Parts: sequence; structure tokens; C-alpha cells
Amino acid sequence: MPQENPFQDPLRFEERVPECAVVIFGANGDLTKRKLMPALYRLAYDRRLSAGFAVVGISRSPMSDEQFREKMLDSVKKFSEDTEIQDDVWRAFAAGLFYVAGDIADPALYQNVAAKLKQVEAERQTGGNVLFYLSTQPSQYAPAALGLGSAGLGKGNGWRRLVVEKPFGHDMASARELSDQLHQVFAEAEVYRIDHYLGKETVQNILAFRFGNGIFEPLWNRRYINHVQITAAESIGVEGRGAYYQEAGALADMIQNHLLQVMATIAMEPSSSFNANSVRDERSKLLRSIRPMKPDEIRQNAVAGQYGPAKVGGKDLPGFRQEEGVDPQSQTDTYAAAAFYVENWRWARVPFYVRTGKRLPKRVTEITIQFNAAPLAIFDGECPDSSPDMLLVRIQPDEGISLKFLSKRPGSGMKLRPVSMDFNYGSSFGERSPSAYETLLLDAIMGDPTLYTRQDMVEASWRVVEPIQNSWRETRFYFPNYEAGTWGPAAADEMLARNGHVWRKP
Amino acid sequence: MGGSIAPEKILRELSDLWVTLSKETHGDAADGALRACSMTLVTLTEESDDVSELGETIAALMPEYPARAIVVRLRGAGERMLSERVSAQCWMPFGQHRKVCCEQVEITATDAALADLPSVVLPLAVADLPLILWCRSARILEMPEFQPIAAMAHRVILDSAGLRNPLAALRQIPDRSAHGVLVGDFSWTRLTRWRETLSQIFENRHNLAESRRITKVAIETAGEPPVAAWYLGAWVMDALASATVYPEFHMTRTGESVPGEMQRVELSGPGFSAELERRGARLIVTVGGLAYCNNLPARSEYSLIAEELRIVDGDPVFEKTVASAQRLAGVGS
Repeated sequence: MPQENPFQDPLRFEERVPECAVVIFGANGDLTKRKLMPALYRLAYDRRLSAGFAVVGISRSPMSDEQFREKMLDSVKKFSEDTEIQDDVWRAFAAGLFYVAGDIADPALYQNVAAKLKQVEAERQTGGNVLFYLSTQPSQYAPAALGLGSAGLGKGNGWRRLVVEKPFGHDMASARELSDQLHQVFAEAEVYRIDHYLGKETVQNILAFRFGNGIFEPLWNRRYINHVQITAAESIGVEGRGAYYQEAGALADMIQNHLLQVMATIAMEPSSSFNANSVRDERSKLLRSIRPMKPDEIRQNAVAGQYGPAKVGGKDLPGFRQEEGVDPQSQTDTYAAAAFYVENWRWARVPFYVRTGKRLPKRVTEITIQFNAAPLAIFDGECPDSSPDMLLVRIQPDEGISLKFLSKRPGSGMKLRPVSMDFNYGSSFGERSPSAYETLLLDAIMGDPTLYTRQDMVEASWRVVEPIQNSWRETRFYFPNYEAGTWGPAAADEMLARNGHVWRKP
Repeated sequence: MGGSIAPEKILRELSDLWVTLSKETHGDAADGALRACSMTLVTLTEESDDVSELGETIAALMPEYPARAIVVRLRGAGERMLSERVSAQCWMPFGQHRKVCCEQVEITATDAALADLPSVVLPLAVADLPLILWCRSARILEMPEFQPIAAMAHRVILDSAGLRNPLAALRQIPDRSAHGVLVGDFSWTRLTRWRETLSQIFENRHNLAESRRITKVAIETAGEPPVAAWYLGAWVMDALASATVYPEFHMTRTGESVPGEMQRVELSGPGFSAELERRGARLIVTVGGLAYCNNLPARSEYSLIAEELRIVDGDPVFEKTVASAQRLAGVGS
């Protein structure tokens, strides 16, 4: 039997995708409707899925396979932003959609799933490969994994993988407990902790930019880089998720996972190869090098904020405490900023300022690498900016990279002005960028965990975030401390000002 | 119009063009035009061809493959004549304040002036970047003047389906490759979706194991088998041979549908069958009784050239296939 597909042509074909079934727990939930199913349909539309690809949806509502297909068609129609629904492509895709109703706590559910998978394997030739996707409440992650284990579904003819959505615990102890429970059924290499930020094209492009080029890496250290800013701003509020959000907060919801992963990607050492474990080892090493703050440092280097009501563009916006489902005395952070320091030779004493918040002036995620000023200012007085050199990596919207530097203004005299050299992802590559979920689902099916988070990375992040979280729990904040539509509390500006720095206004 | 062109003059005009574009700001001195370039794209086209259609294709290519585009319009017979015009293709990326522009030079040449073309085009090529020659004219491919023009290029892209004697392409392409010119052929590009779909079938381990049962490869075309059908047959046979499977090959034709089109390919043997069949704009795939369909939209000129421009260096699978297709079609060089 041939071991390799002899028809492959990697120069022209997309990467090979093995046959498999994806089992989605929480198939009636928002994430499935808004993200997973549109992403899977798009992959089918782009012919990225194998012929016998199948989805088994699981949720409590009783439904037939046919009703599930109709429901999913509605979702795909509603939430596919840029994909045409073609009748026969949908019909072929929908023929692989199946449904099992049941409660995650009920052992009978897993027997039914096993029977359905057996049927699917025979009908669709999925080779026994199964990707389990937990798109449920976090409290159901462990029961679902353990239920699969009791029914013997953690092992089979083909490979078995488990995708888990954040949050991976709400502190170090719960993260470890969850991990231990998952590991009773799935080995760590089979657990795919999804962080959709890592699936974004521009975040992946950071690796290409840093390690595909020779010119930036020599500058990528404390000798040339003054500081780094990572901003993830949202203009919206909690949008009906007040009850959930008030348990999480900005620090745990964004910084513990997404932004520390982005920071690790920016600051990690070059990996010896572009192999999943090499890349993840370097990310993990970087996360472990971030210095956890002592209580007195937390007051200096971390700022919590909560938005209050404001009028923006003539519209009255409620404060967080006025949002539905939110405690009127809530102490939850809707804004969090911190200055992290990486304790290694490359980055010693370089601050990494990380901030995220809701109801900020605009939706933007970007990384600013601020380079040191020229050692001698020979154009003193003719230069409007004392530290002009800056590399900007825009993650969303308008993904791209810009380099800002000084140039002489044409004409007599030596007057300088800042100019920007831009690489715009959208305009430089006219192709549609796949959504983060398309990328990550495909990676999980293909067994590439490079963009997924590993348990040691989760623990390293909690090691950094937990001391801040604990300190904030013991602090009585005078919230709200910033108005909706502004760039956060004044204390965050003061935190940078103490080092002679200012936040970039995106 | 004149009888000659000075490349320096064109370069000066290009430089002036950038100054003009940069001045076309909207009140903000930091805006202006951003120059983008990843290659020199030389397109040979007949003057009688629809100029606006080609213009649209090049404009669509520019965001993905920013290039200095040199369009050579071939006037055919007549007095020796070369003329030029310089312009820019600009677009404003969504949500941006700055235009992104690529240079475009249009050269008109009669057949009598073709010998002078390399001396004009070479100085205009952007240094350090590949020069890709896209030949839309079937006529010039068969002219002796084409050889020195092709020799300038890193890669030559042509369409054997447009040739008067398409099978002659199976002889010509290996000849060009032997002269060190990398060649791409739209007849091969049009097959990508067929080939990729066929390949996907064998990503399944069960089907891969069953491939050893294949004893027959049959290709069916509507009308005379086009070069693409020979390419597909050769590629399938080569792939199976690499897995030590040596089936019989059958090329058949039906009188239906559009002449010269691929209709069906079937790989079969005892207890195994995999079939791809075109039905309008769909490709129906049937493997072991399980049928599904894929889109098979007609490939636009833009999508063909865009796929080829993705390949800067050689295409070893294509090169091997051309040699095998020659043997399969019995048109040895």
C-alpha cells in the first residue's frame, strides 16, 4: 500500500486535509452558529475538507439530523460574511451533518454518540478520526471529556483530539484541575486549547516578519528597543454578556490568554524550526520569563478600570454598572493595563505595556515597537519628534505593518518630518484572509497545534496574572474611573509617564 | 508615434509620474501614493485584442502582485514602428487614506520592430525582481522573434489551448525548458481543480490503500482531446507509477458539450472506482458509491494568470508531466 498520496502537488494544492468527523458539544450555542459552522462551510466551499467530512452536533434540544441541517443552514446564511451559499455545495456539506440530543451529565449520551460515530465512520469513511470540540460552558469541559472517556471514545481506530475554548480555568489551581481531568482521557498532545488571536493572519505574520527576514532580528533586543505597547481596544461594551463578564474581567478575559500569547510571539526567541513543539517551547519559555509582580509592584505597574456612563456621538451610553445583569456595585475591571518585564538577556528592563478595555474610542488591536532615539540629536530643533522610530503591527482592523522614521522635508534647510512606510495586508495580498476559526479548525484537523496553547503556557500565564488578580480582589476600587469613549483611566497614562513614555493613540 | 523608443525617456516619465501621483494629495501632506512592486510583468498581446479586458485583468492583479507592467501590443505587419505610453494603476485600499500605485508602460510594436523589443524592455525591468513574460498572442509564439524575447524572462506563461496546433505545444514547451526558460501553460492551470479534487480522494487512507487495485485510467473529452486531457492523463499515470501501479490508459471522446473540453476521468479496477465528471459548472465526484459535488467555475483569465504568478520558480510536477504527455500523445520531439 502506498504510504503517501502520490497525487499531491504542494506547489499548487492547498495543504492536505485528512478525513474526519468533528463532534461539537454545544451545537445549538452561539459559538457554533456564529463561528464554527460558517467556518466549516467556508472550508467546504473552498474544497478544503475531505470528501467524507462529517459533523456530529450535540446539545440538549431534541432534533432530527434534518432539523439540525436546516438550523445550521440558517446560521450559515446569517453569519457567513463573505461566502456565497450555493445550493449543491451546501447539500453535499449538509449530507455530512448529524445530530445527537442529550445531556452532558447523562452517560447514555456518550453511548449514543459512539453509535452515531460508528454509523458515520461506515457511511462517510472518516477512518475513525474524530475531533471533539467543546463549545459549551466551561463548567462542562471536564464532565464532557470524562464522559467521552467512560464510553471509550477517547481512543479509536484513528486519531482523537479535543478542542477546548477559553477560559482554561479561572486561576492557576482551577487551570491545573481542569487539565488533570482532561488528561484522564486525552494526552496533552491531543488537547488543543484554542486562542483565536493566534489564528489571526497578522499574528502569524509576526513569526514570518521576525524569522523570515534577517534585517529585524539584530535590532530586536534591549539595545535598540525602548519599549513595546500591545493594545486590544474594543469600542463596544459587554453587549448582553454582563453576567458572564463580571465574573471574568478584562485581565482574565483578555490579558491572561490572548495578549500574553501575542506578547510571547513578539518577544520569543527564534525557534530552531517551524515545528509545532519548537515554536510552542519558545513561546512557553518567554511566558515563564515574565517576572510576576510583587504586591508593591502591582500598585505601580498594573491599572484596573471600569467604564462609566457617557454621551458618545450624541448617544447616551450606560456605564458598566448600569448594564443588564451587572451588580450596581461591581468591582469588575472592564479595562486592564500592566507593565510586564521579561527577565532574560534580550529584554531585561524593557517594559512591555499591555492594555485592553471595553468602550474605548475605537476597535483596534495593535503592537507598537518603539525604538530608541538616535544617540546624538544633531538635528536638534529641526526635529518634531525625539523618538521617531517605531514599528507598528496592526492586528485588526486593516492588518498590516508600518515603519515610522524621520526624513528630510524637500527644500532648503534641514527640516525633518516623520514618514511612514506601510505594508497593508489587505492591499498587498488581494486574496481573502481566512477567518481565525477557519485557520484553527483546519490546523486541528491536520494535527498542527502550533497556534494552540499548551498547558505549560496556560500555567505560565496564570503565574503572571494571578498575583494581580488576587491583589485586585482585595482592593476596593473607586469605579467608574473612565468614561466610555475615552482611552481608559488616567492612572494608566501615569503608569507610562513614570518611565517617560506615553500610550500611542491608535 | 515614432520609429524608436528610448528606455531612459520611459524611466524619466515613470519618475515624473510618481512625482505627480505624490502631489495628488487630499490636503494631508502625509498622504500620497505608495509605490508597490514585486516583479516586472511583460504581457504580449495583439493590438486587436480587447484592450479594456486586459486592462481590467492587470488592474485586478496589481493588489496581489504589484508589478511594473509592460504591455506590448503587437500590431502585426506594417512598417517598423515602436511607440510607448506611461501610466499608473492606482487603488485606494478600503479604509486607507493613501493610494497604492503600480507603473504601467504600454509599447506598441509592429512585427518588423519585434527584434528591437528586448533592447527596450530589458532596461525597463525592475532590478532584483523576476521578469515574467505572459504571452497572450498565439501568433508570436510561432515566430522566430519570440525566442530572444522569451530569453529575457525568468518565466514564460502561455496558453497552448489557443495554438493552431495545440499538440505542437507538447513539443515546444520541453524545447523552451531546455533553453533554461521556465514555462507555464494555462492548459495545465485549468486542470488544478480537477487534479486537486482527484488528489483529495486519495487523502483518505482507505482509498489510498485501494489505489493498488486500479487497472484502468479513462479520460473522456468532448470533441478532440485538448492538450489538457493529455496533461491530466500523463499526470495520473505518473502518479500511479510512482506508487508502483501501472494501469491501462484510455482516451475517448464524445460529441457532446463544448468541443475540446475535459468531461470525465475515471480510475477503476476490481472493487474500486473513483470518478470525476463535469456537469456544467459542477464537478461530480463519485468514490465507492459516495457522491458529492464541487464547484467547477470557468476559469477567468485573471484566475489563471494569478495562479501562475504564485509560482516564481520551476514547477517540477508540470515539467515531468509535459515529458510524459508527449509520450502518451505520441508526439515525441
